[in-house]
Amino acid sequence: MRVLVVDDESINRFLLVHMLEEQGYLDIYEARSGHEALLLAEKIKPDLILLDVVMPGMDGLEVATRLKSTNDVVYLPIIFITSLDEKDTVVRCLDVGGDDFVSKPFDKTVVLAKVKAHLRTRELSTNINAQNQELKYFRHTVEREHEIIEHIFSKAIINNPAVTPFFDYRNIPATEFSGDVFLCESSPNGGLYFLIGDFTGHGLASAIGALPVTRAFQAMASKGLSVSEIASTLNRTLENLLPIHMFFAAAIVEVNENGRRFSVWNGGMPDLLLQGPDGQLEKRFSSQHMALGILDNHEFEDDDEVFEAAPGSRILAYTDGLIELTNESGEMFGEVGLEKLFIGNPHISVEDLTAHMRDFMGETEAHDDVTLTLYQCQDLSSLRKDNVVTPLPFRVNVDLGPTLLRSGESIQHFIDLICSQLGLSWIRSDLFTILTELYSNALEHGVLGISSSMKRTSEGFIEYYTLRSERLEQLTEGFVKLEASFDPSQRRLQLLVTDSGKGFDIDNMPEPDPEQSFGRGIAMLNTLCETVEFFNKGTTAKVTLAL
Amino acid sequence: MALEAQLSADEKTLIIRMDDKFDFGKVQDFRAAYSGIPDSVNTIEVDLTETEYMDSSALGMLLNMQKVLKGKVSLYRITHSRPQVLKILTISRFDKKFEIE
Repeated sequence: MRVLVVDDESINRFLLVHMLEEQGYLDIYEARSGHEALLLAEKIKPDLILLDVVMPGMDGLEVATRLKSTNDVVYLPIIFITSLDEKDTVVRCLDVGGDDFVSKPFDKTVVLAKVKAHLRTRELSTNINAQNQELKYFRHTVEREHEIIEHIFSKAIINNPAVTPFFDYRNIPATEFSGDVFLCESSPNGGLYFLIGDFTGHGLASAIGALPVTRAFQAMASKGLSVSEIASTLNRTLENLLPIHMFFAAAIVEVNENGRRFSVWNGGMPDLLLQGPDGQLEKRFSSQHMALGILDNHEFEDDDEVFEAAPGSRILAYTDGLIELTNESGEMFGEVGLEKLFIGNPHISVEDLTAHMRDFMGETEAHDDVTLTLYQCQDLSSLRKDNVVTPLPFRVNVDLGPTLLRSGESIQHFIDLICSQLGLSWIRSDLFTILTELYSNALEHGVLGISSSMKRTSEGFIEYYTLRSERLEQLTEGFVKLEASFDPSQRRLQLLVTDSGKGFDIDNMPEPDPEQSFGRGIAMLNTLCETVEFFNKGTTAKVTLAL
Repeated sequence: MALEAQLSADEKTLIIRMDDKFDFGKVQDFRAAYSGIPDSVNTIEVDLTETEYMDSSALGMLLNMQKVLKGKVSLYRITHSRPQVLKILTISRFDKKFEIE
């Protein structure tokens, strides 16, 4: 430790330096005047100053005032040397920032004890300052990292602005980052999806899981997958990703195009409450499953619940942070508290509910994130246009001769070709049904000339398919032509299927008999397609699909 | 991957699990799945968990099964249909002849 001794009398400096050196303090500087003391102090940065009060020129009091005002945050002890034993001098010494004093003649024991005590305080102060610096640096780093993460979150977790207006929604995080997630996205089938969920815990650690969930949810929603498929994919992703003690309670809901049919998968979330137009409780979608990210995929259950609500009904979903809210007297808000407010009250908004929640809480802070969302049944057909499709009009032609007809895989490849275009992947399932139907008709009745009336008996049913493979095996001529054309401006896909057969009597198609195992193809086409037409004596079928 | 048939422990229920495509290519396999089942079977469940696509010949196969087993089996169930497949079953009013879950 470095000590500065300031005294105009050399005898005093000598005595003090000697005493200190005897005790092993070897890093000692001397100043003969107040002026010199200030210059030296700035240069050598002493840890303690022994300062004479009465000096010619600048006196000790002035020196102390200046030193204390320029000194940094670390405590710099100043011990005054005084022969004046009077009270008011002592008071003045302390007033200007002196920390202690020793009186002349020096009592060696007292001087050394005081120096030692103040140096110890100095050392503590130095340590604290170093720790403060470290803490400050750490805090700055964390703040910067949070800013970066917040930026990423704000860019990555964005709900489709065309869908959010359908929800009355509020998230109240317990800390800067919320472990609650609310996502919504339009479905290519018309209608929409939403997901409300809650990661174990709160804060950054639990918020981080929202990123992969958002990405996966949006990707699956834009493909029009079922809530069961979305649930099981999210489960697989999270089971892989999350540490064992962390999981994601979530409810995934699909609302169809008429805005009233709900498919709900609920794993570990509080009941979703469906309220009729009069405000009465119509239906609870209770948790049927464990939260996501716990079960292996083979243990995982993806069954959803389906319910068709009356027009004007509303569905409320919320995270358990809401029911676990506790006020000053230790009472919980509870499901009962919430349901009392919601049931029978067809006009209460999320804002009203959160206001009640704040009243209940008073001065206490929430311990967990709280999220509420409310959806009112309404027509969602406007969302269909939100689905982006390829801007490119295209036309694909394929001629299938005997070899390709035998291989039997052509339809699959043809469908892949169409569905690989932007925004068309979700029609794969319908397209499969439609094209397989048209293709089978063209091949079996047209090219191979087999009549479906064979299927009238159960023996004939099998015979029909046996004949099909026999004739196909021996086929040497004939064709099926496929053509798909897409018009992005009309959002319409047209399919043409032409065969080399004799055709059939278009005007006299028999009504399908529900008891028979054939003849339901055309009826199915009529439901799945916008238009169904036959040309050229029935050898060409033309259907259109609206997207 | 092919379809699988499994008899319950009490030999009363036959479960036929279809794979991803339920189309004319399954005619033989599907018929084989319910041929020669013991007389004790009174329920057949067709599990469509894996089935992504279905065409009208699949509908034919289902109805044909009912014809073949007439008087032997009293309950036919179709389970775990995905939405697209369910749509086809609904359009064809299969709920009249099958219990659809």
